[in-house]
Amino acid sequence: MSTNHHHEPNIFQLEPVEVTRDVIARTRSRGSRYWGIVGVLAVLLVIGLIGLGMRLGSETTKLGYYAATFSFLFTTTQTAPLVSVAFRMTKNHWRRPIARASELFAVVGLFNLLIFIPLMIALPSTEGRWTIWIQAASWSPHVFDTMMLASLVVCGLGLLWSGAIPDFASLRDKGGSKIYSKLAMGWQGTVRQWKMQRVLLSFLGAFYFIGIIWTHYVISSDFSMSLVPGWVDSIYPTFHALSGLQAALATMLLTAYVLRRFGGYKEYIPMETFWAMSKIFLATSMLWFYFWWSAFITYWYGRQIGEQHVLQLINFGPYIYAFVIAFLFCFVFAVFMLIWNPIRKNPGALASIALMVLIGCFFDRVRLFVSSWSVSDLRDQHHLHYVPDTVLPEAPDIMIIVGLISGAILVYMLASRLIPVMSIWEMRELRLYQRSRMLVRKKVMVLGKPE
Amino acid sequence: MSRKVLMGLYDTPDAAADAVENLQGASVESIDYDILSGTPYPEGTFGEPPVKHKLYVFPLVGAAIGITLALFEGFGTQLAFPMVTGGKPILSVPPMIILCYELTLLGAILFTVMGIIFESRLPRIVRGLYDKRITEGLIGVVCTFDEGRDEEITKCLNDAGALEVKSEE
Amino acid sequence: MQDRKALTDKQINDTLTNSILRTPLHWYILTGFFAVIVLMGFVAVGILANRGLGMTGMNRPVYWGFFITNFVFWIGISHAGVMLSAILRLAQAEWRRPATRAAEVLTVFALGTAAMMPIVHLGRMWRFYWVFPYDWARGIWPDIRSPLVWDPHALSTYLIGSSLFIFVALIPDFAVLRDKTTGMAHQIYGALSMGFRGSVRQWRLQAIAGIILSALLLPVFVSVHSIVSWDFGMAMAIPAWHTTIFAPYFVIGAVHSGVAGVITVLILLRWLFRWDDFIRREHIDALGRLLFVVANAWLFFFALEFMFGLYHQEGTEVVVRDLWLFQTPWNVIFLLFIFTGYIIPVPMWLFRSVRRSFPLMLFTTILVNIGMWLERFLLIIPSMGRKHSFTFVWGDFAPSPIELMIVTATFALVFMLMLLFAKAFPLIPIFDIKEGNVLRDEIQIGRRTVQAVIREE
Repeated sequence: MSTNHHHEPNIFQLEPVEVTRDVIARTRSRGSRYWGIVGVLAVLLVIGLIGLGMRLGSETTKLGYYAATFSFLFTTTQTAPLVSVAFRMTKNHWRRPIARASELFAVVGLFNLLIFIPLMIALPSTEGRWTIWIQAASWSPHVFDTMMLASLVVCGLGLLWSGAIPDFASLRDKGGSKIYSKLAMGWQGTVRQWKMQRVLLSFLGAFYFIGIIWTHYVISSDFSMSLVPGWVDSIYPTFHALSGLQAALATMLLTAYVLRRFGGYKEYIPMETFWAMSKIFLATSMLWFYFWWSAFITYWYGRQIGEQHVLQLINFGPYIYAFVIAFLFCFVFAVFMLIWNPIRKNPGALASIALMVLIGCFFDRVRLFVSSWSVSDLRDQHHLHYVPDTVLPEAPDIMIIVGLISGAILVYMLASRLIPVMSIWEMRELRLYQRSRMLVRKKVMVLGKPE
Repeated sequence: MSRKVLMGLYDTPDAAADAVENLQGASVESIDYDILSGTPYPEGTFGEPPVKHKLYVFPLVGAAIGITLALFEGFGTQLAFPMVTGGKPILSVPPMIILCYELTLLGAILFTVMGIIFESRLPRIVRGLYDKRITEGLIGVVCTFDEGRDEEITKCLNDAGALEVKSEE
Repeated sequence: MQDRKALTDKQINDTLTNSILRTPLHWYILTGFFAVIVLMGFVAVGILANRGLGMTGMNRPVYWGFFITNFVFWIGISHAGVMLSAILRLAQAEWRRPATRAAEVLTVFALGTAAMMPIVHLGRMWRFYWVFPYDWARGIWPDIRSPLVWDPHALSTYLIGSSLFIFVALIPDFAVLRDKTTGMAHQIYGALSMGFRGSVRQWRLQAIAGIILSALLLPVFVSVHSIVSWDFGMAMAIPAWHTTIFAPYFVIGAVHSGVAGVITVLILLRWLFRWDDFIRREHIDALGRLLFVVANAWLFFFALEFMFGLYHQEGTEVVVRDLWLFQTPWNVIFLLFIFTGYIIPVPMWLFRSVRRSFPLMLFTTILVNIGMWLERFLLIIPSMGRKHSFTFVWGDFAPSPIELMIVTATFALVFMLMLLFAKAFPLIPIFDIKEGNVLRDEIQIGRRTVQAVIREE
């Protein structure tokens, strides 16, 4: 493989068989740095679980940071597969280098489901408050939210598995562990098998898309909005989903950068992938403001006391510090940096903005969930009569935040040891559809558009 | 020394690119030749250097003017007619944000359009050497040169396979 | 499967200027027909101005009727232009090319028509200029805290921006018309083209113009219908209005009806001017797929809006939903709206054969717009009719012949303006089609030839 320091090395300089060997080799080998990071994350996870244990059994007003952390992890990791799903539907080739990395986050869904269960148990009953479960049983959010989340996890794992079957077959054929034979399920790569795989990916992708939107809807409504008397915000579930998409793009930009810079995948992840993601990232950052503003202006305009108190609670009152960070990081800085082409053409700059957005997203979840849980004992009221004081994080909360986030990253890293983080078959397919040629005197790229 | 203009007409982009190459080989500056086509080709197709422009300044200037006008209108109307409506403060920031948003974008759009027309060097009162068949698919390579180089430039254009070489007369 | 025919630049020029240079007889018949309806509409407006708003069906408590419904509807139609032109240009979707100018022109005419509606609705239309901040003598200034003042700002910005967008993109096509005509027409097109020659610099700036203007118009597009929605959303007393989701709900509804409107227009233009080589099955297939996604997004927002209206189970909110679902004639209108706006067309679009059929796409897109008009009607009138807690001040609305005439005339006006535009300027961007030809390529994979597109590296 030759590299030219004037131009980015790219996958077209690799033979298809080299792609297979290279990715398999990277999947199998892990250096001491990898295991060192895994060790640290494991320790932090244990600390987090200890913190969680300390918090469980506390009054519900103290569970806000736990709820915020769960929501943050759900928002980032479980929306991440949408990057692959959505852009497979629109038949974009640029998503191929990050498709598997995106779908691999579905494994973190299992971790999210586990940490969700204590939160679900702690959720107050629907008695005495408005919820989306109009005239339904008081256990509705507990049961149905868990079912939705579990279904989403199953769908995500199905998506990951069906997308990875051909690569499991490659690993099986290259003398991998017996587990790959089981996972490959006798895959041979016949025309029919490829066709069925495509159909399966389409269906599972569509279900995952619908599922993630509705899961955002129920999680945001049940674990945040319905805890606050008088907070009736029809755009809130959509805001939660949209900020999820923004966070998912940020997660994938950061992941792509890490893979490129530290994972040795520079030939595989070209600038085009970052460029394409950055445009949608910019759009979602602008939409973040749009959705937030739609809610804000509707509540601000009428000057109704209940609505003004809700605005104080979630924006300008006890959690103003979190709101300002979220507003600046998720919107102001993100948009005013991303509008510049030179920044959008720089993977390092994009990764920095992505990290900033993720921090902003976390604080956004703090302002929404910690505030909601801080009033969760105010049942039988239809309006928020007063705004409670700030609930600041204590030691168990810090342990939970650090531990659970570390746990999510740990699960992802361990999964990447088993499942190649680069989709071999998608990259080989890309080589079929992407060519380079001269248009008169200019070198251009020719992109095949199969129907 | 007076300047003269010649245009070679070509029926394929390759021939036009050959003509450009010939002109570059004859040390004609990039500012002295141009390619006319009825179809937009990707930049650099004919081997020409990238176009330099300052279009990006225009929307920024327009946006600045727009936001200024919006703030002027917002502050001005509210202070000129200080009536409390719906319990909202006299100087209400959220409505002013909406006005600023709209007028900033309007200013940016207006100035961008002015910028496009200006940077395209339009309107051209004197169109210059041109041929109607360019909009039907022919490609024109126009060269401005000092008097005395007629034969050399004509040869450059003809060697590339020009269907016709036109002059301003 | 893509069914392209290789056309030379001259063939493209000739076909796409035939509407201007060799106008078919049925153009004159259609334009004349629409002009008569428009004239009748203006007569109706004149009667309204003379006799007052008592000529309409509006009365306490329903003060907003057909005119405001029509206003919101046409604003909705106007959203297709930027959707198709700007978003698809930024996404580099090749199939946008024949549709962009028709969509942009529909935007401008729909916006202009929409802007007329609140003016007609005023009653004393000659006082509409009071909305502008001009007065130094009376001491009265518009209240910028009101969404009714945000509206003209947004509408003017969108109208001016869209018009300029069309003009800039028309410059190269004016040059084509300049080169094809003689006499007065040549002079006019020559002046409009401003001496455009197709130099490298001019084409490069056209490309950048498209990107910058698209990027600037997109935020305007989102803001316009959001601000229109806030005409309703800011009101606290009207049930089913005061909800935070109105802004994106209106925008997605606008895109739904707008894109459907563009498909309708494209199919009719294809028939009228024999543009079979340019408006092909693959284009309406792609538009149909876009519409499928948009329609489902619209349904999601509609479901959220409906659901959250019932969330706090407030009396007036429940009454309005009860009206929609269980009381005649509102439930009939509701059923008609949901069937025409979603249930009939959207499942049909799942099928490729439907999406590639011009008659079926024409049928489904007309249905969508019937449904979306009714949606706006259902949003406005029943809510106003039930806004008070005291049932003795509840009221209903029935449109008068004057209102029916004026609303019908708006449809005729938009169609007539589109036809007039097609007579003077090319409705399919000539240079865009030619650029599509340059960027078209093929890849051989084994025995299969795959269509491809050229992208700059």
